[in-house]
Amino acid sequence: MRRILTRFVLLACWSLTIHHAMAQTTVTGSVTDADTGEPLAGATINVVGIVGSVTTDNAGSYNIQVSSLTDKLQVSYVGYQTQVVDINGKTVLNIRLALEDEALEEVIVVGYGTVRKSDLTGSVTRLGEDDFNKGAITSADQLIAGKAAGVQVVQNSGEPGGGISVNIRGVGSINAGNSPLYVVDGLPLDNSSVVTGSGANFNGMRTTRNPLNSINPNDIESIEVLKDASATAIYGARGANGVVIITTKSGAAGGLQVNYDAYAGVQNVAKKVELLGPNDYMNTINAIIDAGGGSDAQRVEGIQDGGTDWLENVYQSDAAIQNHNLSFSGGNERTTFLTSLNYYDQQGVLINSRNKRYSARLNLEHNIQDRFKLGVSLSTSYVRDQYVPNGMDLNERAGVIYAAMNYDPTLSLYDENGVYTLSKDMNIDNPLAIGNGKDALSNLYRTFGTVYGEYQLAEGLTAKLNIGGDVISQRRDTYVNRLTIEGNAAGGIASILQGKNSNYLAEATLNYNRTFENSSLNAVAGMTGQRFINDDFSAEARGFPADATGTNNLNLGDPTTHRTSSGKSINSLLSYLGRVNYTYADKYLITAALRIDGSSRFGTNNKFGYFPSLALGWKMNEEDFLKNIDALSVLKLRASWGRTGNQEIGNYQSMSTFGGGLKYVYNGTQVTSTAPSRIANPDLKWETSEQINIGLDFGFLQNRITGTLDWYTKDTRDMLLSLPVPRSTGFSSQMTNIGSVQNRGFEVMIATANLTGPFKWDSNISFNTLTNTVKNLGGISNIITGSAGSTGQIAIIREGDPLHSFYGYEILGIWQENDDFSVTDDNVNPGDIKYRDINGDKVVNADDRVILGNSFPDFIWSFTNTFSYKNIGLYVFFEGVNGASMLNNNMVDTYFPANLKRNRLAEPLLNRWTPNNPSAKYPSFVSPNAQGQKTVNSYTVEDASYLRLNTVRLSYQLPLKGNALRSATVYVSGQNLLTVTDYTGYDPALNPNGSANFRIDWNAFPSARTFLLGVTIGL
Amino acid sequence: MKNQLKYRFIGVLTVAFSLGSCNGFLDEEVFSQLAPDNYLNTKEGIESVLTDGYARAANMNSNNSIYVLAPQEWPTDILYQSGDNVERDARNFIDFNWDPTITFIGNNWDAPYQCIRDANTLLESIGNANVPEAEKPGYIAEFRFLRAISYYKLYFMFGPVPLRTSTTGELQLARATDEEIKAFIESELIAATADLPAPGGEAAYGRAHKGAAMGYLCKFYLNTKQWQKCAEIAKQLIDNFDYGLFSDYQTLFSVENEQNEEYIWVRPAFASSDRSTANSWSNTAFPDNFAEAPALGVSYLPTYVNWPNEFRIYDSFYESFDPTDKRRNLLVTSYINSSGETVSLLGNDNIRSFKYLPDPGAQGASHGNDIPEIRFADILLARAEALNELNGPTQEAINLINEVRGRAGVDDLQLADFTGTEALRNHILKERGWEFYSEGHRRMDLIRMGLFISNAQSRGKTNAQAHHVLYPIPQAVMDSDPLLVQNEGY
Repeated sequence: MRRILTRFVLLACWSLTIHHAMAQTTVTGSVTDADTGEPLAGATINVVGIVGSVTTDNAGSYNIQVSSLTDKLQVSYVGYQTQVVDINGKTVLNIRLALEDEALEEVIVVGYGTVRKSDLTGSVTRLGEDDFNKGAITSADQLIAGKAAGVQVVQNSGEPGGGISVNIRGVGSINAGNSPLYVVDGLPLDNSSVVTGSGANFNGMRTTRNPLNSINPNDIESIEVLKDASATAIYGARGANGVVIITTKSGAAGGLQVNYDAYAGVQNVAKKVELLGPNDYMNTINAIIDAGGGSDAQRVEGIQDGGTDWLENVYQSDAAIQNHNLSFSGGNERTTFLTSLNYYDQQGVLINSRNKRYSARLNLEHNIQDRFKLGVSLSTSYVRDQYVPNGMDLNERAGVIYAAMNYDPTLSLYDENGVYTLSKDMNIDNPLAIGNGKDALSNLYRTFGTVYGEYQLAEGLTAKLNIGGDVISQRRDTYVNRLTIEGNAAGGIASILQGKNSNYLAEATLNYNRTFENSSLNAVAGMTGQRFINDDFSAEARGFPADATGTNNLNLGDPTTHRTSSGKSINSLLSYLGRVNYTYADKYLITAALRIDGSSRFGTNNKFGYFPSLALGWKMNEEDFLKNIDALSVLKLRASWGRTGNQEIGNYQSMSTFGGGLKYVYNGTQVTSTAPSRIANPDLKWETSEQINIGLDFGFLQNRITGTLDWYTKDTRDMLLSLPVPRSTGFSSQMTNIGSVQNRGFEVMIATANLTGPFKWDSNISFNTLTNTVKNLGGISNIITGSAGSTGQIAIIREGDPLHSFYGYEILGIWQENDDFSVTDDNVNPGDIKYRDINGDKVVNADDRVILGNSFPDFIWSFTNTFSYKNIGLYVFFEGVNGASMLNNNMVDTYFPANLKRNRLAEPLLNRWTPNNPSAKYPSFVSPNAQGQKTVNSYTVEDASYLRLNTVRLSYQLPLKGNALRSATVYVSGQNLLTVTDYTGYDPALNPNGSANFRIDWNAFPSARTFLLGVTIGL
Repeated sequence: MKNQLKYRFIGVLTVAFSLGSCNGFLDEEVFSQLAPDNYLNTKEGIESVLTDGYARAANMNSNNSIYVLAPQEWPTDILYQSGDNVERDARNFIDFNWDPTITFIGNNWDAPYQCIRDANTLLESIGNANVPEAEKPGYIAEFRFLRAISYYKLYFMFGPVPLRTSTTGELQLARATDEEIKAFIESELIAATADLPAPGGEAAYGRAHKGAAMGYLCKFYLNTKQWQKCAEIAKQLIDNFDYGLFSDYQTLFSVENEQNEEYIWVRPAFASSDRSTANSWSNTAFPDNFAEAPALGVSYLPTYVNWPNEFRIYDSFYESFDPTDKRRNLLVTSYINSSGETVSLLGNDNIRSFKYLPDPGAQGASHGNDIPEIRFADILLARAEALNELNGPTQEAINLINEVRGRAGVDDLQLADFTGTEALRNHILKERGWEFYSEGHRRMDLIRMGLFISNAQSRGKTNAQAHHVLYPIPQAVMDSDPLLVQNEGY
C-alpha cells in the first residue's frame, strides 16, 4: 500500500514540475476595491500552480510574468475574497476584489479539520474577534463568558488571575472534572494545577488559579465551542464536558502589518457588604448580653480611637490595570508569520494582590513545495502572581476578607505599642497583619506549541504530522513574617513550592477531500498519543534571624524545622480516530465519527473505550419548495447522536498503593510511616455520556436575522463517583463507575441587523435553559456532601433531583411571644427562629430537612448591542442568570456566629427581634445555637439570580485618510456597571466554591467595577 | 530532493503510527507511592505500616490530641470551653444537645477504624512476609493489640460497632452484638499479652508491651464492671512489673520527665511545625495576654501560640480539692499578663489547667508532652474500686488510694470513715477527678458509676437524657453503610 502511495505522490510531484520550462509573457493591471474603486496596495498576485508572486504598489498596480496567456491568476488581499481570474489571452487585467462576506465564508474549526458553516451538522458555536467580550480581559474563557448559549462561565473570584469554572451543557459528573477540554492550535491542553499546596501557614484557596491566564487573549482569532456529541466525539474520553477550540491569529500574505493595542484603567470594589459599625456593634452585642445572650465578661466596654472599618482597610481603591499588545504580521505566498508581544498588569481590589503577564507568540507557516507545508505555532509566557490570603478558611488560616468581616470594629488599627491590634475573642490575626504579613508570589513559565508538517500525497489526500509540547514550570514562594501571630511565634515561616507539568503530543492524520459530480466527501483518520509528566518539590523552614531574607535563604532557618517533599506521576492517552463527512446535492449532510481511546488512568480490565457519533443535516432552503421564498436565506435542520467520555480523575485511582501515612513518635523522636491509599478498583473506566441534539439554523431577510436553535439531552452513565464506602473499612470512599445524570436544555442564539444604513444597530441574543437530574445512584439512597468552614452537609445528591441540591431547614419565621409553644418539644423561646417541622413530631431534626434550591440556573441569557454612526461605535452588553441558588456562608456566620463577639452583616442584627420590635424575619440572636446548627436553611440559601449591565464601550475611529497610520481607534469602557439582584453577598455571579453548579459563597474576593481608556492603532 | 523529503516525511509518519504498538504506553507507572505486591513482603514495609497503625491509635495529628479528650471532659463537671470557632461545637457538648453531625465525633470513629484497617492488612500479610519466623508472633501480638485497643475506644464512645477483622470481607457490615464486641476485645488483649515483650523490652518506646495490653484489659474490666477480673489483672500489673508512682505530681506531665515509671501507655507527642504529633493543650490553657504563672515557674515564650479557644475549669471543681493537695497546683488561678498586671481567674469558672506544663521546645501550637492513657495511679485506683465493688471498703482498697494520695501530699483516708461501698465509691470518683483531670477519664468514670446524666442534670443541663451515655454514630458513617442502626435516642 505504501509503495503505491509513494508512486502516486511521485507522479503528482512530477506533473507539477513540467510547467517550469515554458516561455514568459507579462501581464499588467491594477487591483481595486469592488465597492469604492480605491486601489489596494500590497495585494498578492500569483499564477495558479506556479511558485512565486508579486504584490501591488501604492497605486494598486502590478506586473507579473506568465508562461501562457491561458494561465489563471490568483489575487488575494487581507479582508477580501480571494479571486481566481482567467487571463484569457489579455495582457492587461484590472481586478476588483469584493470584501469578504463572513456569514457566507465562515469556516468552522472542528477537531482535526474544518468545515464550512453551511455544512456543519453538529452543534458548534463559533465566536470571532467581533463577538468577544470587550474591556479588561485576562483569559480566553472571559472572552466568551455569556456569549455562547449553553456555556456557563462562572468566576470563582474577583481576584486578578483568579479561577473560572466553565461548564458546557451542565454537569455530568460528581467526582470527575467538569471542565471542557481546551485545544489550542491542535494541542489539547492539560490545565491541571502545577503547584497544589499553598505554603505553610498560608491558607489555601479552594480553587486553582486560572490556567488559561498564560495565553494572551489578544492572540486569539476565534474560539469554537463544540457542544454536541457529534462534534466532541472525536475527542473521545475527553469530550464529554464539551471542547473549546482556540485558534490563534496567523499572518497573511501581503505587506507588514503592525498593530498596537493598549488600555489602562482603574478598578474598585463593585458592591460592598454592610457590616456593623463600631457603635452599632457595641450597642448590639451589649443588648444581646442584656437579653441573656452572653456574660458580663463579654460586654463591649468602649470604642478605641473611633474603631476601624476593617473591610475598607483591606480594599485597594482605584486599583490600576493596564495592557499593551504589539503584533507584527505579514508574509508572502510561501511564508506567513505573526509575532506578538503582550504585557498585562492588573492590581486587585484587595491590598497586595496583583497579576502580571508577559507573553510572546510566533506563528509561522512555510510552503516548502507546493504540496509540502511546515508550520509552527509557539507561545511562551511568564505570569507573575502576587496574592493575599483569601478563600474558604477560618481561624488562624483565615484570609483577609474573613478576618475583616469577623474582626471587632471597636478596635483600633494599631495598639498602644504601634503594632496591629489583636482581638482577644478569636484565633484570627489582625486583617492587615494577614494582608501585609503573609507574602505570596507565584512565578509561572509556560511554553507550548506545535510543529506540523502537511504533505499532499495525492489529489485530495493529505497527510499531517503534528508534534506538540507544553511545559509549565511554577514556583510559589510564601513567607509569613513577624507581623503575624504565627510568623512571630515561629520566627518567620518560609515555603517554596515548585512544580513542573509537561506533556507531549504526537499525532498523525490523513485527510481526504473529494468532490464528485453531485456530492462531496471529506474524511480524516489518524492516531494520536499524549503523555503527561508531572513532578513537584517543596521545602519549608522556620525560625529565621530576620524577616529580610524571606524565602531566599532557607538555610538560615532553624535546621530542625526544615521540611521537604516531592512527588511524580505520569499518565498517558493513546487514541485512534476517524471521521467522514458526506454531502449529497448540497442538501443532505452526514457526519460519522469514531474515536478509540486508551487511558493509563483506568483499570487493567478497561483500558480502551469506543466513542462513536453520527449526525445528519438537511439544508431545507436548498429544496425546490423553499428555494423561491426570498425572505428565507438559510434553513437547516440538524440531528445528532454520539457517545463521549470523561477520564478526569486523578492518577492511580484504579490501583491499591501505599502512600504517606501519619507520623508517630518512637523513643521520643518523630518517624514517618506508610498507609494503604485506597480500595483498588481494577474495573474503573471512563464516564460515558450519550447525547442527542436536534438543531435548526436559520437566516431570514438576506440573513439580517440569523440564528440557531438547539435542543439536547445528555445522559451520563457509569459516573466516576467517589462512592462513600462504609467507614468501618478505614476508608471513606472508593472511585467507582456508578449511576447516571441527565442534562437537558434548549439553546437559542440570534443575531439581527436591526438598523442598516448610516446609523447601524446589530444585536445578539443568547439564551439557554438547563435542567439537571440525577437519574440513578446505583442503589445508594443519597449522598450528602459539601462543606465550607464549619458548615457541613450542605447539599444532597439523590435520584430525581438536580446534583448538589441544597439540603436543609425551611424557616417559617420567628417565634413570637403569644405563639402556641405546645406544638414543639424543642427548646425555643420568643425571638428564636421557627423551623418547619416537616414530619410533625414536635422536634426539628435531620429528618426535617428539605431541598432548598440548587445551583443550576433555570435560564441564562445575554443581550449584546452594537451601535455605530460614522466613526462612533457603542457596545452595550447585558447578561443575566435566573433561578440559581447559592449558599451565602457569610450569612451562616451571621446567624450562627462562632461566638458572640464576632462582627456580622448589619441588616439582620440591626432589625433583630426584640420584645419591642417583634420582627417576623430576624431572630433575637440571643441563643443562636440552642436549636443546633441548622446552618443550611432558607435564609442562608439565597436566590442568586441577577441581571447585569456587564459592559459598555464607546469608541471613536480617527479619520486617517492618507496618513501613515492605517487605523486608529480610541475608546472608553466600563465593566460590571449595574447589577439587579436580591442576593446579599458581594456578587451573585461569583462562586468561591469553584464548581459552576455547586455554589457556595464565602469570603469571596470581591468583584471589581472597571473603567478603561484604550487605543488600538494599525500601521 | 523531493523524494527524500517525502520519504523522510513518510518515515516520521510511520514512526508516529507505530507508537500504537508500544504496549507499555498505557501502563500506569507508580513513582511516589509503593505498590502492594512487593511492599508488604518486607520487614521495612511491615514496620512502616505498623507505624501508621500506632499513629492512628494515638490520634495526635493537628488538634486531635485535645479533641479526643474534649468529648470525655466537656460534658462533665470539670472542664468546659468557650471562645473562638470551637465554641459553637463545644456548646453542644456542654449543653447535652449534640447530634450525629457534630464535629469531634467523626475523628473518634475514623482514626480507630484506620488503625484496625492497618492491623488487618498487616495480619493478612505477615504470614508471607520476609520476616524471621521467630519474630512473627511478636508482630502479630502488636497488630492484635492495636486492633483491640481501637475497638476498646470505639466501644466506649459508640457502643457495639461493626467488628471488622479482615480487609477482604463485605464492605457493608452491621454492628456486632454487645457480647461479641466485648468478647473480642477481651480475648484479643489476652492473646496479645502472651506474645508481647515485657515493658522495656519493646523495640522502641511507643510500641506495645505486656504492661500496655494488661493495662487496657484492666480498664476494660473496670468500665464493663467485671470487678473480679479487674482486681486480678490490676494486681498482676502491680506485682509483675516495675511500675510505680512518679515522685512529683507537678512535673509528672512535663516533657523532661517522659518515659517515667508511672506511664504505662501514652499517646506520644513531639513538637514539630507540621503538628503531626502535637499536644495542643497549652494553646487552650493560656489565658488572655498570658505572660507568666509564677507559682509554676512558667513564662510565655515567643515561640508559643495563645489561642482564644479557651479550655476553662469550673470553680466548683477547684474548690473540691483539699487546699494542701499538690495536684491542685497545676490549676492556675492567677497569672501575670503581658502588661505586668496580676490577673485572678477565680470566681467566674475561668481556671486553667496547666497539667501539661508548656514545652520549652514547643513549635507554635505544637507541644511535645505525651498524653498518658494508662498510668500506674489508674491501675491502683482501678483495683481499689474493684475491691470496693466486690467486698465493700477494705484496708487494702484504702491503702491503694492512700498510695495515690500520699504522692499528692494529702492525708491518708481511714477505713472507718467509709460506711459502705457507695461511700467509698463516691470518694473514688472524687479522687479520680483530682488525679486524672485533663486526661480524658471523667466521662467514663461518671458513666460507670451511673452518675453521668444525674450529674449533668444537677448542673442545670436539663437536656441530658439516658441515651447520652453513648455518642451517636457520626452521620457521615451512617450515610456510608445502610446496615448500621443508630444508637437509640438520636
